[in-house]
Amino acid sequence: MPTHLTRIIIVGVDSFMKRLILMCLLLVGFDVAYADRAKSSFEAANKARDTGDLLQALDHYEAALNSEPNNLKYGNDYRQAVVQINQVESYERCIAFFEKLTTQHTKIPNVWMNFGYAYVDKIPVEGAITQVLLANTALGYFSKALELEDSWLGHYTRGNSYLYWPAIFGRTPLAIEDLEKAIALSEKEKKSRSFHVRPYVGLGEAHWRLDDVTKAREIWKSAAKRFPDNEDLKKRLSMDDEALTAFLTTHFEPGKRVNTDLNILWEEEQQ
Amino acid sequence: MIRIIMMGVLASGILYADVVAQSAMKFEEIAEKAGVQFVHSTRKFGDRHKAEVLQMFTDGGAAVAVGDYNADGFDDLFVVDSDEGKPHHLMRNNGDLTFTDVGQELGVSSGNDPLAICADALWFDYNNDGHLDLLIGRFGTPILYRNNGPDKEGAYTFSDVSKKSGLTQFGNTIAVIAFDADRDGWLDLMLGNYFKPENLLDLKTPHVLPNNLDYATNGGGVTFWRNVAMENGRRGFKDITDEAGFIHHTGWTLDLGHGDLNNDGWQDVYIAGDYGTDRMFFNKGDGKATFDEVTETAIGFDTRKGMNVDMGDYNRDGWLDIYVTNITDEYMKECNMLWHNNGDGTFIDLSRETGTCDTDWGWAAKFADFDNDGWEDLFAVNGLRSAEKPNYIPVLLEMIITPNVDFSDVNSYPDIGNMTWSGYQKQRMFHNLADGTFKEVGAEALVDTDLDGRGVGIADFDNDGLLDIYQTNANQQTLLFRGTPINSGNWVGLKLIGKVSNRDAVGARVTINTGSDPLIREVNCGNGYAGQSSMRLHFGLGNDKTIESVEIRWPNGKTETLPHSQLGALVNKMSVIIEGKGVIR
Repeated sequence: MPTHLTRIIIVGVDSFMKRLILMCLLLVGFDVAYADRAKSSFEAANKARDTGDLLQALDHYEAALNSEPNNLKYGNDYRQAVVQINQVESYERCIAFFEKLTTQHTKIPNVWMNFGYAYVDKIPVEGAITQVLLANTALGYFSKALELEDSWLGHYTRGNSYLYWPAIFGRTPLAIEDLEKAIALSEKEKKSRSFHVRPYVGLGEAHWRLDDVTKAREIWKSAAKRFPDNEDLKKRLSMDDEALTAFLTTHFEPGKRVNTDLNILWEEEQQ
Repeated sequence: MIRIIMMGVLASGILYADVVAQSAMKFEEIAEKAGVQFVHSTRKFGDRHKAEVLQMFTDGGAAVAVGDYNADGFDDLFVVDSDEGKPHHLMRNNGDLTFTDVGQELGVSSGNDPLAICADALWFDYNNDGHLDLLIGRFGTPILYRNNGPDKEGAYTFSDVSKKSGLTQFGNTIAVIAFDADRDGWLDLMLGNYFKPENLLDLKTPHVLPNNLDYATNGGGVTFWRNVAMENGRRGFKDITDEAGFIHHTGWTLDLGHGDLNNDGWQDVYIAGDYGTDRMFFNKGDGKATFDEVTETAIGFDTRKGMNVDMGDYNRDGWLDIYVTNITDEYMKECNMLWHNNGDGTFIDLSRETGTCDTDWGWAAKFADFDNDGWEDLFAVNGLRSAEKPNYIPVLLEMIITPNVDFSDVNSYPDIGNMTWSGYQKQRMFHNLADGTFKEVGAEALVDTDLDGRGVGIADFDNDGLLDIYQTNANQQTLLFRGTPINSGNWVGLKLIGKVSNRDAVGARVTINTGSDPLIREVNCGNGYAGQSSMRLHFGLGNDKTIESVEIRWPNGKTETLPHSQLGALVNKMSVIIEGKGVIR
């Protein structure tokens, strides 16, 4: 290889590498800048929320999510502020915001996840048929999130959503499938978390929905060995069939607000 | 707020618990024996496009109207059918709990024309001649039969005066009530319309179904007709829907109820709407039959599937409460609404607290004191379509969740075939426990059939002091339940006759004091889905035998207190009171 050519290549590589390094640095810089901006918006949102200015808080949460769309917690706290306001307009604003975010960031699973939750959050303020439509739309977005990332949270969330559909709609087997997958994923994790009990609770409830209370109890009893202090399991196992049915019928009443606050995911981390 | 109200009624209930505990409701079903068992037929749409869907949406029409058309002192029955050519039945009460069908003989059995479906009926004396006239509400133009009274031989005849009376407007009418909105002494008419005014039997557009299943705004709303003197000197009706303040209501009306909800002496209106918000209107009291909509402040905006309106004072606080049925089933838990009247123009739904929330897929429901213990109970019928085992709901769900589906398009809906939809549901009887709650006793009372109930007509058909129930069912046989309660209480039956006020004293309020909480009843004309109950007033007194006072507020606003000397004779009998003259018999 002629020297001058080698030199050109070396110079070229050198130049390419320099540009690449520069771009990487810039990207990192941008990321850091975005992360900083997101964090400061998030903090401003929390501050506004704590002082009772929820509408101001929504502005800041949205800014935080625009900077860091995959941040599940930012999305979660944004939605919880919307739930606190509990006005149709705020739910619609939240849905519209995540809709826009999904068009801008089609491949980010947590954006889809929060989008789905935004629909779930709106259910209690709507009429019975609209509730069905909202719940069904949410399922679609939870599925989208799962397509992008197979996760415990994804399967638990979607499984739990299927679970709220009365058995007549034939979606309970799908709940079982997802909740079993969530359990399998949690069992693979090195550290067991307290919230990993949730799919067990749900799985038992799914079998109750299919009128197999014996199977439900078996699941809860087995889970109680792994989570002996869990109150949800204890409560369900302490009831006779009649009391259990009364309790779960009320629990699954369509239109009742479902707690979609995911802060438990981070609280345990901080402890 | 709810707790305070419940504590109040609980405290008063302690006084009455013994009386209530002694009695038990019981009924005997005697429709066949009485000769009033008919199988209703909903309209079939033949080979029309989407015939099954249209039939499914016009599934009402099994209606009953109670009224004493021949003034013999026994309430008669008019039973509506809906399929093409099917006759209605005017069942003359023979006075011994048997009835004779005189519908064809008197010429009032038709109306199910090729392009019209009969859906409701109402007895009301529109011309104040003392003879009850008959209005048939149709998906079409209404039919008004004038009762000509008895001829020389005592035979009654009816004349079709629909056109002459001005009732020529097409509507898909499913509910009819009459009351004197302007206190001019004549009964005005309100028609509740389900679909917008498109003839379903001659469909020009497929977009006739609700445009939203929770907030529909493309229904038939209501029309309101003022009773006026016509050029020929006879009485007729003029459409004043706009002037009266009802023109903006375009919901899917399923039922109407009238009563004095704010105790100002004027008749107010509650409209139960399917696929969305019920509406409440207070009479302005200006004598012009104009109303203010008070929905937002009085009850708020709901998204439920309102089916029935009835009014009664379930807790004896002197204010009319309202019972509305909705849909409560495995797949949809709307809960009924028992609107407790707060006495300040607002109402609070206490159906859960009172135990009257769940009647499955609700239809008609009526307040009445079936055991004469002094407290109004509630009878509610239910069930949409009892057919074969496959369930329509999952099929319907697939349509509902189809992206961008047009709910208003008949083509969007899958055929139902022989599938069941909210079928085989047990009728409910709620016994008022006098403590602000009710206990469901349908099975013990022997009224818990699982037919597809629609309308209810309540009356004391044999004048024995015990209320009976006539129940209509869609595409199934009707039922007549004779009241046979155990340890029933004392009672008072009153037939009011207006002189200055409208002849049947519709809208009159009677307050009876027996030393405890007052009992109030208002004469209503058509409250309750697909049913008109007797216009006579029935009061259970429990163990009380002494009446301290009876006050009548006539529809014209004047109050009359019966002389003390007349009160003793009222207990355990049916009495007639003429405005300004007191008890005449």
